[in-house]
Amino acid sequence: MSNLAVTAIEVLIFPGILFLTSYALYCNWINRKFAARLQNRIGPLHTGWNGILQPFADVIKLLANEDITPASANKTLFLLTPIIIFALPLAALFVIPIQSLSNLWSYAPVAAFEGDLIVVLFLLTIMILFIFLGGWSSASRFGAVGAERAALMMIAYEIPLGLVAISPAIMAGSMSLNKIVEWEVSSFANFLAAPSLPGILLGVTLLIGAGIYVICLLAELEMRPFDISEAETEIVHGWQVEYSGKKLALLHLGHEFKLVLAAALLTSLFLGGPAGPWPIPPIVWFVAKTTVCVFILSNLSVLFARFRIDQMLSWAWKYLVPLAVLQVMAVIVLSGVI
Amino acid sequence: MSEREYIIPIGPQHPALKEPENFLFKVDGEIVVDVEPRIGYNHRGIEKAMESRTYIQNLYIVERVCGICSNAHQTAYTQCVEEVLGMEIPERSKYIRVFVQELERIHSHLLWLGVAAHEIGFDTLFYYIWRDREVVMDLLEMVSGNRCNYAMPTIGGVRRDISKENFPMYHKMLDTLHERTLYYLGVCASEKTILERAAGVGVTSKADAIRLSAAGPTARASGVESDIRKDSPYLIYDEIPFKMYTETGGDVLSNVLVRVNETMEAAKICKWVLDNIPDGPIKEKFSPMSRVPEGEAVSLVEAQRGELIHYLQSRGENKPYRYKIRAPTLGNILTVIEKLKGGYIADIPIVLAGIDPCFSCTDRMVFVDEGKDRMWDMNGDQLRRYGIRWYEK
Amino acid sequence: MAMERELIKNALSKPCTLIYPFEKLPPPEGLRGRHTYDADKCIGCGLCARVCPSFAITLVGGLGPKCEGLNVDLGKCLFCQQCEEVCPTKALVMSTDYELAVLDKESAILIFERTPPPPKQPKKKDE
Repeated sequence: MSNLAVTAIEVLIFPGILFLTSYALYCNWINRKFAARLQNRIGPLHTGWNGILQPFADVIKLLANEDITPASANKTLFLLTPIIIFALPLAALFVIPIQSLSNLWSYAPVAAFEGDLIVVLFLLTIMILFIFLGGWSSASRFGAVGAERAALMMIAYEIPLGLVAISPAIMAGSMSLNKIVEWEVSSFANFLAAPSLPGILLGVTLLIGAGIYVICLLAELEMRPFDISEAETEIVHGWQVEYSGKKLALLHLGHEFKLVLAAALLTSLFLGGPAGPWPIPPIVWFVAKTTVCVFILSNLSVLFARFRIDQMLSWAWKYLVPLAVLQVMAVIVLSGVI
Repeated sequence: MSEREYIIPIGPQHPALKEPENFLFKVDGEIVVDVEPRIGYNHRGIEKAMESRTYIQNLYIVERVCGICSNAHQTAYTQCVEEVLGMEIPERSKYIRVFVQELERIHSHLLWLGVAAHEIGFDTLFYYIWRDREVVMDLLEMVSGNRCNYAMPTIGGVRRDISKENFPMYHKMLDTLHERTLYYLGVCASEKTILERAAGVGVTSKADAIRLSAAGPTARASGVESDIRKDSPYLIYDEIPFKMYTETGGDVLSNVLVRVNETMEAAKICKWVLDNIPDGPIKEKFSPMSRVPEGEAVSLVEAQRGELIHYLQSRGENKPYRYKIRAPTLGNILTVIEKLKGGYIADIPIVLAGIDPCFSCTDRMVFVDEGKDRMWDMNGDQLRRYGIRWYEK
Repeated sequence: MAMERELIKNALSKPCTLIYPFEKLPPPEGLRGRHTYDADKCIGCGLCARVCPSFAITLVGGLGPKCEGLNVDLGKCLFCQQCEEVCPTKALVMSTDYELAVLDKESAILIFERTPPPPKQPKKKDE
């Protein structure tokens, strides 16, 4: 098969748009079932086997709803925001190593290049900007409050998120996710062969970094305890309050893509990516590790109450940012030693 | 109103409110500057409906003033009518009335605790508490035949008896409730995110609580020691050994602690009643169509939310002439205004839920004239004249 | 973190949801459900209609021997059981049937029929 055909299949079907969409619906199902079990309930049950088609059914139902635009809303922004919020995580997922079609044992991403980690972080930040624009253009009191809270949350957690994501890149000496994963695999194999004290220290520091990263991901995904911009009991539905119908379906799908992106970033940066000790195709490792990440995120989400916005800001700047700075400095020191 | 401030309406329909009320919050960014409540959305004309039904039919109308304080309203009503009749009810029926009233107190407080957890975003605790509330609803279903609106008190006693062979099962269910509530007390006092949202939020000082006529657990959370069951005991509350819980904080956390402790105390009262109930008849004879002599009576009852006052005036017929109900939430709403000024928008749901509002009990009519910018109340005669003039136009 | 152990304990135990309508809880006896009517015991006194707080019971035909049955409107009924309490012959009794949802208001009216007893022949005086 010619290279162009392989790339087209990689982009559109596997591991492209079709696979990622169904994987996003699968991750949403895992999230709902696991959270339900922790809360002593059942979760989705009747649609498909054990409710696995429920996220799909939700999207179909939203597509059939009536699409209302408020009279005094800014029409271009109101229309543009859901499309961009749907497209950005999908674009970011093309640089994550999942599985390559041309070689069964390789996980080279579709669009890898030096510096794609920076692109992913940039796309994450742009998403928040569009959330703010979406809430602001809704011309609704609750939307405005939700948009303002989303912007305040961005000030709180973007800095630790970026800092901690850089630390594996410093160790690997490269800004490409593909090369970071390769470094992790090789250095872990070296560590098992010859354990040393700097290796253990590096492992502990990266583990702390993973912890901080999980907290920042909860804030990025607007899950409890950081679902402040979407607080249901206070501002009805936050910045999404005026969206309905097809636009809301796009917003929901974008939210689910963000969950997959968050889990995939967590595995690629800290858990060794789609690779493991036994000779299995990388796609299996990817599914297994991201499912574990979704379990962790879901468990933390049902464990806490919701923070207030000023508490979150003060807590993030008092504890998270200094810890992230210390962690990066420790990694820099250790990278000189190892 | 400056240019930076705008008005956020909470209600009449809002996920934070379980019943419709309107609160207009003037906010500046995230900080609340002023609150204006508008009540009256749940007015159903119950006091008027009671004037055209007999005393036995009114038992069920007065029960439906509120779905969760229904037994308190029925107890107050039957006490009013029995006082006018001069009737003394049998001892066993007093014990059964206390049993059902305390079970309803457990039911209401557990419901409130779950709703308060939901307002701060803690859905897991909400689901757990409402799962354990099913135990008390099953118990009430066995005793009275219905999960809400139990309709146990009647004029002259109670309608159903509780049979001795079920007592071991009731004891086991009450023990389960006590143990689960003790666990929730531990969680609420130690879980860090709950403490962040509830401690120091919505504070009412003791002087403010007395000045603004707060009632029930809201007043007890600010240190005011008032409980009708201790101050002017009715039924057999002067014989039962129980403790009244007060806290000094006046914030949402104190409200939580007072109510959770009251729940456990209510379970202990129920067990005491089951151990000490005497045998005997359960009701005196009162025919459904009989007349009640002339007279008036006031009865005070400690409902789940505070002090409940019923007033009855009878003119010798088999229907009441005038009936008036004052619910405790009417006083508690005034404290909400003080609690929320200077707070955050994020605190609005939890503070509103913290006073345990029952707007169905509260609503009487209020007139609002937008043109003249006035609000006033009308009494019965003024209302009649207003209605006649409106129809004549 | 205080509730993590409780969460894990709940994840490993059976969910507390009953998958209705495949699993149902048995109703306790004494549950106030649908009315049942024993036409042989009814004497047509009409006390149930007079005492109902929401005027849900209507007598068909007339009082006493002329009574041809009852209509109980479950849409208005409060399920307070006062009609059962006041019935002198225990002809109107509430069962434990609680699944009473209908699709239109007309089917919510329970129609109980009773054949009125034949009028009594006056006794002939013995000569």
